Amino acid sequence: MTMFTRHVSRQLGALLDGELAEQEARRVETHVAQCASCRGEREQVQLGMEILRRLPPVEAPDAIWVGIEAALEEHRSRRVWAIRWWRLAFAASLILALAGGTYWSVRRGAGQWIETDSVSSITLKVGQIGSVEIAPNTRLRVVTARPGEHRLALARGEIRAKISAPPRLFFVDTASGTAVDLGCEYTLNTDEDGLGLLRVTKGWVSFQWKGLESLVPAGAMCRTQPHIGPGIPCFEDAPESLKKALETNSLDTILAEARVRDTLTLWHLLSRVAVEDRARVYDRIASLTPVPTGVTREQALKLDPETLRRWKDELAWTW
Amino acid sequence: MVNLSDREISAAIVESCRAGDRDAFRVLYDLYKDRVYSISLYFFHGDRSEASEATQQVFLKLMTSIGQFRGEAEFSTWLYRLVVNACMDAARRRRAEPIAADRPRLEAFGRGSSQEDDYARAQMAESVRSAVWALPTKFRIAVLLRYFEDLSYEQMAEALHCSVGTVASRLSRGHRMLAERLKDLVGTKG
Amino acid sequence: MLRLGIAVCAVVALALGQGFTFTIGNPVASQDFQAKSAAFVFRTEGCADPAKSQIGGTAEGVVKGARRSISLKVVATSRPGVYAVYQNWPGEGDWVVNLKGTCANASAGAVVPIGPKGFVRESAKFFPRAATDAEIETSLKAIAQGGSK
Repeated sequence: MTMFTRHVSRQLGALLDGELAEQEARRVETHVAQCASCRGEREQVQLGMEILRRLPPVEAPDAIWVGIEAALEEHRSRRVWAIRWWRLAFAASLILALAGGTYWSVRRGAGQWIETDSVSSITLKVGQIGSVEIAPNTRLRVVTARPGEHRLALARGEIRAKISAPPRLFFVDTASGTAVDLGCEYTLNTDEDGLGLLRVTKGWVSFQWKGLESLVPAGAMCRTQPHIGPGIPCFEDAPESLKKALETNSLDTILAEARVRDTLTLWHLLSRVAVEDRARVYDRIASLTPVPTGVTREQALKLDPETLRRWKDELAWTW
Repeated sequence: MVNLSDREISAAIVESCRAGDRDAFRVLYDLYKDRVYSISLYFFHGDRSEASEATQQVFLKLMTSIGQFRGEAEFSTWLYRLVVNACMDAARRRRAEPIAADRPRLEAFGRGSSQEDDYARAQMAESVRSAVWALPTKFRIAVLLRYFEDLSYEQMAEALHCSVGTVASRLSRGHRMLAERLKDLVGTKG
Repeated sequence: MLRLGIAVCAVVALALGQGFTFTIGNPVASQDFQAKSAAFVFRTEGCADPAKSQIGGTAEGVVKGARRSISLKVVATSRPGVYAVYQNWPGEGDWVVNLKGTCANASAGAVVPIGPKGFVRESAKFFPRAATDAEIETSLKAIAQGGSK
């Protein structure tokens, strides 16, 4: 009878799961019977398995299927131009072809530029997750095109994205920030200098740049600037005076003109105004809608992340 | 939970899915949704939003890439490869994000749940969930896959892109880490 | 003494009736990406056990002069007590969403007008019970006349 002189830690799970061949199982058992250390480890593995039995299975919520159906429906009903990419030695022109089911080719697409002239617009299919309409006079590049990430770089012009996928699969880089899709439809345009405007029509978008983030829900818009990043979002139906005041940084007017819904704007302002102005912004939000439990003035003025997040969660019900 | 063998997932259902048959896809979805969701949910420590995202991603990918399933591996192995990829990709993204993203609060399990009226059981389950969450992701996905799906080590090796020996090692170590963490709660033998 | 008794009863009745309510919002409030294409989301408040509440409703509309009523597509989101309403009514015509729910012995209702740009929060009406037919018709008339306030 051969006895293992080495411990059998790695085989213990397989032994208990019945995954070892008969002969090997006998050898491992023999060793365990004579090795206190491995015996102790076997008990630990057994205990670990016992512990896992305390985890009840959980029923998947209905909303998941609804989301899948919606994604499949959009995928089926959209008529798109399929773009077939060729390596181009010189020109930045496109070859358009109608070919059912042709998507961006990872091998060919990444790195290639797309440029539309003054009258043409095209629609690109984004893998299986949506599409991007490219307006006239637009120039953009496919940065990545793979199942886990679809990324464009918009140099100038306008795109309209319609994405039906879990969040953070679709990104658009501009000179002044990255639009991170959180499941939505939006229009993004930018000029050669990097000044941009994001308008969201469905869902919501996170616009990020170097740690600065603006959350833009449906019905809202956000300007972006190079070297500064995403601006303060505001609703499209906000008073014109408030929108102008955002451009001119007139805090007094913003605070005076803000409606309940404009707490979207005020919440973002809280972490962007000068320290001495934070209290005014806080007070204005508090005057428009009750401050939720768990949010204190002191913590909010310190810009405590958990406090701000909790407040945003509640304010979102007024947006 | 029903644990159908792949023999019961007839070739006809897979073929129908490939042809875009929504009803066939719904059959597949209903068969696997709870297991996929449970694995994702415990992988993300009760974060229902992450679990829902991962689950939806898995089934969308399944539907759109079912043409690639050629039948040389069992269907569930292929499916669980998608689950592993979805969970591990999301875990990597969470680690890589430089700013605190807008994450919904983790839902406290058992609060108001009809499954766990007993407070002590709820506390235990929460401790187990936390212990699972504390496992390194490679061990976490392995123990959850084994527990909820009862795949063979060979099938797990395919789903996890590793050798059978590595599967055995990860499961052994993962279970021992859980035991080490919770031995006082569950009680040790002898 | 009688007045005191009536006052106490009124306070108790008020406390009991005040419990269960709806709050409506933009889909972003759900923090659930699967609700992104919802017409709007809503949450229940004052329900001790959201898992046991019963929620439903109808879309009520007038299309080319004909009165229509469609069962609502309400889906629970990943957050307890938060639901998404998906548009399953036609784009033409005037529509309101009639929400109703129960939690234990309490009820709640809401009538949410739908405008060209989505739900009209300012004109939504909330009730401590299901809305009556008259209340629904009033909202429909207001929408049809172009009134959103």
